[in-house]
Amino acid sequence: MSESILKLQNVTMKFGGVTALNDVTFDIKKQEILGLIGPNGAGKTTVFNVITGVYRVTSGDITFNNESIVGKKRYKITRGGIARTFQNIRLWGDMTALENVITATDTHKRSGLVSGLFGFPVSRKEEKRDKARAQELLDFIGIGEYADRLARNLPYGVQRRLEIARALGTEPTLLLLDEPAAGFNPSEKVELAQTIKKIRDAGYTVLLIEHDMSLVMGVSDRVVVIDFGQKIADDLPSKVQNDKRVIEAYLGVPEDAS
Amino acid sequence: MINIRDWGAGIWERSSKTTRIFIALGWIALAASLPFLGGTWLNTPIADYGAVLVFPIAIYTIMALGLNIVIGKSGLLDLGYVAFFAIGAYTAGILSTKTHLNTWEILPIGIAMAMFAGLILGVPALRLRGDYLAIITLGFGEIVRITALNVNAIGGANGIVGIPSPPSVFGIEYTFDNHRVYYWTFLLIIFLTIWMIRRLSVRRAGRAWESIRQDEDAAELLGVPTFRYKIWAFVLGASVGGAAGVLYASKALFISPDNFTLQVSILILACIVFGGMGNIWGVIIGAVILGYLPDRIRFISDARMLVFGIVLVLMMNLRPDGVLPRKKREKALPEKRQA
Repeated sequence: MSESILKLQNVTMKFGGVTALNDVTFDIKKQEILGLIGPNGAGKTTVFNVITGVYRVTSGDITFNNESIVGKKRYKITRGGIARTFQNIRLWGDMTALENVITATDTHKRSGLVSGLFGFPVSRKEEKRDKARAQELLDFIGIGEYADRLARNLPYGVQRRLEIARALGTEPTLLLLDEPAAGFNPSEKVELAQTIKKIRDAGYTVLLIEHDMSLVMGVSDRVVVIDFGQKIADDLPSKVQNDKRVIEAYLGVPEDAS
Repeated sequence: MINIRDWGAGIWERSSKTTRIFIALGWIALAASLPFLGGTWLNTPIADYGAVLVFPIAIYTIMALGLNIVIGKSGLLDLGYVAFFAIGAYTAGILSTKTHLNTWEILPIGIAMAMFAGLILGVPALRLRGDYLAIITLGFGEIVRITALNVNAIGGANGIVGIPSPPSVFGIEYTFDNHRVYYWTFLLIIFLTIWMIRRLSVRRAGRAWESIRQDEDAAELLGVPTFRYKIWAFVLGASVGGAAGVLYASKALFISPDNFTLQVSILILACIVFGGMGNIWGVIIGAVILGYLPDRIRFISDARMLVFGIVLVLMMNLRPDGVLPRKKREKALPEKRQA
């Protein structure tokens, strides 16, 4: 649990005159659950977007397994082993839950369009294997019974979980979760925390953006705090909670202290 | 309103493999016997029933099925689809009048030319999305037509005359007024296209197209090589359009740039929207109705397009998803299954 798999080095992301990320450096170690927190607009989702290739960093470098992934195509980054969920659910609504996950498992198929058309053995074999794998992932996340239902008709909580199952379908080593507990009630949050731990125990590394402090502090091995695009803390949950700068970022500075 | 789509799909899904084969054979037999089933009451003022089945109905059906891969499956708005039809037709026209190749030898060449054109158009155009893609493809359709109009080596505005009929196959003669033989040949192409689309729909390519149509960014971020699959959709759609073009030229024996106007692209698009975007059975129904109707009501002369327009407007208000919408249903809910 010492080897780091993802490193952000001096990452700066500017949109015109706005600096969304300013010289951010941190790393994620293998099989770690890293919490990424910060007040609204601090740049958390921007971190996800630069890692997954949605934005290209203005300066700095991002390495995954010691290889730079800056400027790589988005689907190639995913194939390399980084998968994400979305803050606002972005499932393929007209597909069933199972089809959503199978589409993600297609990432690692060798057979393409031509062998699918003519039903070559490699295609048939992979179809069968991936269907089983997708069902296995739905069961793993605990939503196996919804496999045949259209994604858009699923209850909200199941949709959030399906996002995680779909991301796992790409067989990542690093899983990025963008506010997976948004809109959850306390008991659902407890369940989700267990699921996240289960995912880690299954061998995945998790980077978690979350607003719910008890959830983040409960599951994370380490917490990185960003505020106004800058990293202000990177430590164990218990230490971060008492960090003066973190408290200031969230609660503001008392007037008499200045 | 009864959901015909779900009713039909329900029967299909409950059937065993043998029953399915019988259902499929039944439909094939029905489609093949259509030339014998009609009567003179189906004749249009410009052609009799047998001829109408070949053009516009069969040709429109092929094109609508091809365009459906691009628009219905992958959600790429292509307004210049007629270009591939024109490329197929012109390939047939040029090669059959200037070389000794016959229609069956030209068919794969025409398909290949159309696919190549799809690739040439797709590589720059598919980097754009939505409205911008529509504008580029619209321009491409016009470029092809205007090129044909202005290059005298391929007939210019006069087009190409004297395209030979296809040679006989197994002793069956393709003569100009033997419409049935053409119809059955075109039907074969239609079945091949249906087979291809159905096959791909349940496999990787179909899922990739579906995910691109619904949320392209999410697809890309979940490892779908979206650009490659969009190109595939374009190229396969083009291949079907090219095949339709070669067959059309060999039936019509005469082609000119006037056959390949923007209106054809729009009409084929209308067939898809009318019938049910993304549903091949709906698309076929759309092509049959919209191919047939404008010719059938020619007796009301000038009011013809007005009536046609009113039918389209009414349809879009009453059934915005088309005659047979794409799949929308749920299999048995898990709660019910447990109870």
